[in-house]
Amino acid sequence: MSTTTQPFTLVEPTPKRDLRGLIGLAVIVIGALAFMLLHPDPVVFPPSWNLHLRDPIDSFQSWVIGHRATHPLFVYFFNPFSAFIDARLRTLETFLLNLPWPVLLVTLVAVAYKAAGRRVAMLTLVSLLIMALFGLWKQSMATFALMGVAVFIALLIGIPLGILSARSPRFELVLRPVLDAMQTIPAFVYLIPVVLFFGIARVPSVIATVIYALPPAIRLTSLGIRQVAANTTEAADAFGSTSWQKLVKVQLPLALPSILLGINQTIMMALGIVVIAALIGAGGLGLEVLTALRNLQVGKALEAGIAIVLIAVIFDRISYGLSQESRDAIHHAAQTRAKQGQTKFSPRQANLLYWGGVIVVILLLVIADRTLLDLSTFPWRFSIRQPIDALVLWMRNNLYQIGDLPLGTGPFSDAMIRYLLTPLRDLLLIYLPWPMIVLGFAWLAFQAAGWRLAIFSALAILCLGLLGMWEQSMDTLSQVLVAVILAVVIGVPVGIGAARAPRFALIVRPVLDFLQTIPPFVYLVPVIMLFNIGRVPGIIASVLYAIPPIIRLTDLGIRQVAPNALEAADAFGSTSRQKLFKVELPLALPSIMLGVNQTVMMVLSMVIIAGLVGGGALGFEAVNGLAKSQMGRGLEAGLAILLLAMVLDRITQAWAVGEGK
Amino acid sequence: MTVEPTPKVVCQNIWKIFGPQGQSVIHAPATQASKAEILASTGQVVAVRDISFAVQKGETFVVMGLSGSGKSTLLRCLPRLIDPSAGHVLIDGQDIATMDQQQLRTIRRHKMSMVFQHFGLFPHRRILDNVAYGLEVQGMKKAERQARAQAVITLVNLQGWENHYPGQLSGGMQQRVGLARALAVDPEILLFDEPFSALDPLIRREMQDELLSLQEKMQKTLIFITHDFAEALKLGDRIAIMKDGEFVQVGTPQEVVLTPANDYVREFTKDVPRSKVLTAQNIMQPALTASVPGQSVPATLAVDDLLALVATTEQPLAVVNGADQVIGIVDRSAVLRALAGMVPLSLGDQQ
Ligand SMILES: Nc1ncnc2c1ncn2[C@@H]1O[C@H](COP(=O)(O)OP(=O)(O)O)[C@@H](O)[C@H]1O
Ligand SMILES: [Mg+2]
Repeated sequence: MSTTTQPFTLVEPTPKRDLRGLIGLAVIVIGALAFMLLHPDPVVFPPSWNLHLRDPIDSFQSWVIGHRATHPLFVYFFNPFSAFIDARLRTLETFLLNLPWPVLLVTLVAVAYKAAGRRVAMLTLVSLLIMALFGLWKQSMATFALMGVAVFIALLIGIPLGILSARSPRFELVLRPVLDAMQTIPAFVYLIPVVLFFGIARVPSVIATVIYALPPAIRLTSLGIRQVAANTTEAADAFGSTSWQKLVKVQLPLALPSILLGINQTIMMALGIVVIAALIGAGGLGLEVLTALRNLQVGKALEAGIAIVLIAVIFDRISYGLSQESRDAIHHAAQTRAKQGQTKFSPRQANLLYWGGVIVVILLLVIADRTLLDLSTFPWRFSIRQPIDALVLWMRNNLYQIGDLPLGTGPFSDAMIRYLLTPLRDLLLIYLPWPMIVLGFAWLAFQAAGWRLAIFSALAILCLGLLGMWEQSMDTLSQVLVAVILAVVIGVPVGIGAARAPRFALIVRPVLDFLQTIPPFVYLVPVIMLFNIGRVPGIIASVLYAIPPIIRLTDLGIRQVAPNALEAADAFGSTSRQKLFKVELPLALPSIMLGVNQTVMMVLSMVIIAGLVGGGALGFEAVNGLAKSQMGRGLEAGLAILLLAMVLDRITQAWAVGEGK
Repeated sequence: MTVEPTPKVVCQNIWKIFGPQGQSVIHAPATQASKAEILASTGQVVAVRDISFAVQKGETFVVMGLSGSGKSTLLRCLPRLIDPSAGHVLIDGQDIATMDQQQLRTIRRHKMSMVFQHFGLFPHRRILDNVAYGLEVQGMKKAERQARAQAVITLVNLQGWENHYPGQLSGGMQQRVGLARALAVDPEILLFDEPFSALDPLIRREMQDELLSLQEKMQKTLIFITHDFAEALKLGDRIAIMKDGEFVQVGTPQEVVLTPANDYVREFTKDVPRSKVLTAQNIMQPALTASVPGQSVPATLAVDDLLALVATTEQPLAVVNGADQVIGIVDRSAVLRALAGMVPLSLGDQQ
C-alpha cells in the first residue's frame, strides 16, 4: 500500500541541475571572454556557411511563373481552384456593392441588436456611418467580402476537423502540435509560401487567411464537444442514439457557445491578416492603409485604420454577443425567463415578427432605390484627413523637440536608439561572437526544459546563420528584447495596480479589451504620426500591441492568490509592500511568466510587421521579398522568423510551466 | 407448479476490471486476492467481481452498497454502456455480449431505459423534447412522439412544464423528467442508478411512493441501485448487498434483515425497526385447520399494522395467502414477541 498512498510529496530542489547550469554559464562566459581577448576583431557568422537556399527557391519561382499556364498541376489544380475562389469572391463583392447602402446598414444593425443588444446596435450604426462618411464604403465592402469568404472556408474546414479531433484521440494527438506550431507563426510568414504558388492576387490572401484563422475554429469546436458533460452523452447512448444522432442532437447544440466563440476568434484573426494581405494584392482597407503609409499620408492612413478598427469592434461584439446569447439559451438564465414573461408573444413569435419587420424594411428600401431615390452611393462626406495631416505637421514641428529642452519625440527616439537599440544590437552582432549566442540560447533552453530543448534551440539559432539571416535576426532579436523589456516594465506594475485597486482596474480592463481588438497592422498608423518611420515606431507599436497579456496575467495571477495565504501574511504583520513582494508576486509568478510568453510572441509578430515602416531586419527582408517578388529572400527571412518564434516560444513557455511547478 | 419462465435479465459471472490488461487478473491466481491487494500489485481496479443473478419479469431487484462498491459499473454492464471484462448478460435469453452495435441500439431503444443519479437531462431541450428523446432517436414522427411524451408527462404529474427547460426545474421535478424520459419508450426493463440520492429526504420519500404505485400499475422489470438501505427495503422484492465488487448477500428484505449473512450486512440492519420488515407470515403459527374464526389478515401485512388489530381483540387472527386460503394464525403474544426482538418461529415459506 505504501507505494500507492502518498499523502503529499515534497518538491525536492534539484541541486544537480542548478550546479550544472551554473557551470555551463561559467564556461560560456569564460569562453566568451577568452575568445574576445584572442580575437580583437568582431567574429561574424562565416559568410561561406550560407546555404544559399534562395537560389533553388528563386529558380523554383521562375519555373512556377514559366509553367503556370502549361503544367498540369497548375492547369488542373491550382488555377481552377484559384479561379473558383476568385469567382465567389467577386460575386460576393459585387453583391455587397450593388446593395443600396441603407440595406446593409439596416441588416447589420438588426443582427447586432438581436445578438448583443441596444448598445452594440448603436455602435454598429455609428461605425458604419463613419466608414461611409470617410468615403471608404467600397473598400470596406471589399474587406468584408474577403473576410467573409475566408471565414466561411475556415469554418467549413475547421468545424469538421474540430469534431473529428474531439472524437478521435489519435487524430487529436497528431493535430495538436500542428495547431500549436501554427499559432506561434507570425501572420506575416503565412503570406510568403502562398505567393510562391498562387502569385500576387486576392486568392492567395484568402488562402493565407484561411490557414492563419483555422486553429481557433478547430480548437474551440473540439473543446466545446469535449466539455459536454459525460452524464449527458451517456444518457444519449443509453437511449440508443447512433453516433450521428448523439452528435447532432446533443453534442453540437451543447458545444454551440464554444463554437461561436471560435467563430469570434476566427473572424478577429482573419481580419488581422486580411489587412496585412494588402501586401500580396488583397485590396480593400488594408491596401488603403498600406499605400497611405508608403506615401506618408498619415490622415488617409488613419481614416482607413479607424475603419478597420471599427469593423473589428463591431464584428467582435456581434459574434461575442451571439456566443453569450447561446450560452444563456442553454442555461436559461433567470433574466431570459423574466424577459419572456413581459411580452405578449412567445419567443418564437417575437423572433418571427422581428425578422419579418427587418425584411419588410429592406424590401421597401430596395423598392425605393429602384423607383424614387438613388441609394447606390452614400451621399455625404466627412473627412479628417486635412486636420490630421495638419496635426501631424504641427506635432513634427512642436513635439519633435519641445523648446530647447531634451524633451519630445525626437530626443526620445534618438535616446532609445542610442542607449538601447544600438548597444544591444552591437552586443549581439559585434561584441558577442556568434558561437556564444548559440551556446547562450542552448543554456537558457537547458535551464528551462533540459537537453532536448537545448539542442533544438542551438540548432535553430545556428540555422539563422545558415540561412544567411544572422545579421537581420540579431537586429530583430534586439528589437524584440527592447520591446519585451519595456512591455514588462510597464505592464507588471499596471497589472499589480489593477489587481490591488478595483477602481483602476475598471479603467484598465476596457482599454485592454479595445487594444486587443485592434488588428496589429493598424497600430503602425498612430505611432508613425508621432515618431515618423524607423525602428522606434515599430517598438512602440509592439509594446502597445503586446502589453495586454502581461497586464492581464499579472492582474489575474495576483487576484488568484489564495486568500488564506494573504490572511497568514497579514497575521504575521506584513506591510502591504512586504505582502506584495514576499507573497503575492512569488505566487503570481507562473501566471506572469505565461504573460511574458504571450507578450514575447506578440512583440515578435509586430516587430516583423514593423518592417513596413522602416523597422528593418527580418521584417524588411520579408516585406521586400513579397513586394519585389524575390521569393528566395522572402522565404529565407520567413524561415528565420519561424525559427526565432519557435525558440522564443518554447523557452519562455517551458519557463512559465517550470515556474508553475 | 408451472414451468419456471425464462428470467427477464440474467447476469452470469460478470467481471469488470479497470486498468491495463483487464482480462489477465480474472484467471490469474490473483483471483483470490482482495480488491485492495490487486490494486496495490497490478494497478487494476476490480470494480465488479464475478457477479451472477437473475431477475424475473415484474420483479424489482435492488442492489445496495456503499459508494465505490461497483454498483454503477455493474448496472452499466447491462446495456453495455460499459463492456464487461468477462461474463454474460442475457436479456430474454439473448446474450448481449455477442450483439453488434445495431442490435445493441435496438435493445437500448426499445427494451431497457435508464434513469440517472444526476438526471442526465439534455439542458438545451425543452421538457417535452427531453421526454421524447428516446422516441425521436427511434425515428418516430414528431406529432406522434410529442403526443406520447405528453401522456407520460401527465403520468408523472408534470403537465404545464412541457415548454420549460431542465435548468428551470427543481431537482425533484428534474428526476420526474428523467423517469418520464425512461418510461416514454415503454421499455420492459428499467434501470435506476441511485435516482433519488440527489434529492431532499422529503422529496425522496414522495418519489419512492410514486415509483411504487407506478410499478403496481406497470409491472415492469426494475433493477434499482441505491446506497440507502431503507430505500432498498422499501422498494425491493429482492435485495443484493454489494461490497468491493461482490454480492455479499441476496435475498428478500425479510431474509436480509432477519438473517444477515455476516457482520457487514448486520451493521446495516441494526437500525431497521423489525416491526416494519416482519410480516404476519413471518410470525404466524401454522394453522391446524383450514378455517379459523374471526378476522383474517393478508400474509404480507407488516407487524406494525398488526399492532392496532391485536390491540382491539383477544381473538387470534387468521393469516391468508393471495388465494384467500388460511395458512396460519397470529395472536397478541406473537406480535409482542416479535416486537421484543425474540427470534420469530420461521421465515415462512416464500411461495
Ligand atoms: N472509468 C473508470 N476507470 C477506472 N476506475 C473506475 C472507473 N469507473 C469506476 N471505477 C472504479 O470502480 C469502482 C466502482 O465504481 P462505481 O461502479 O462507480 O461504484 P458505485 O457506483 O458503487 O459508487 C470504484 O473503485 C471506482 O473508482
Ligand atoms: Mg455510482
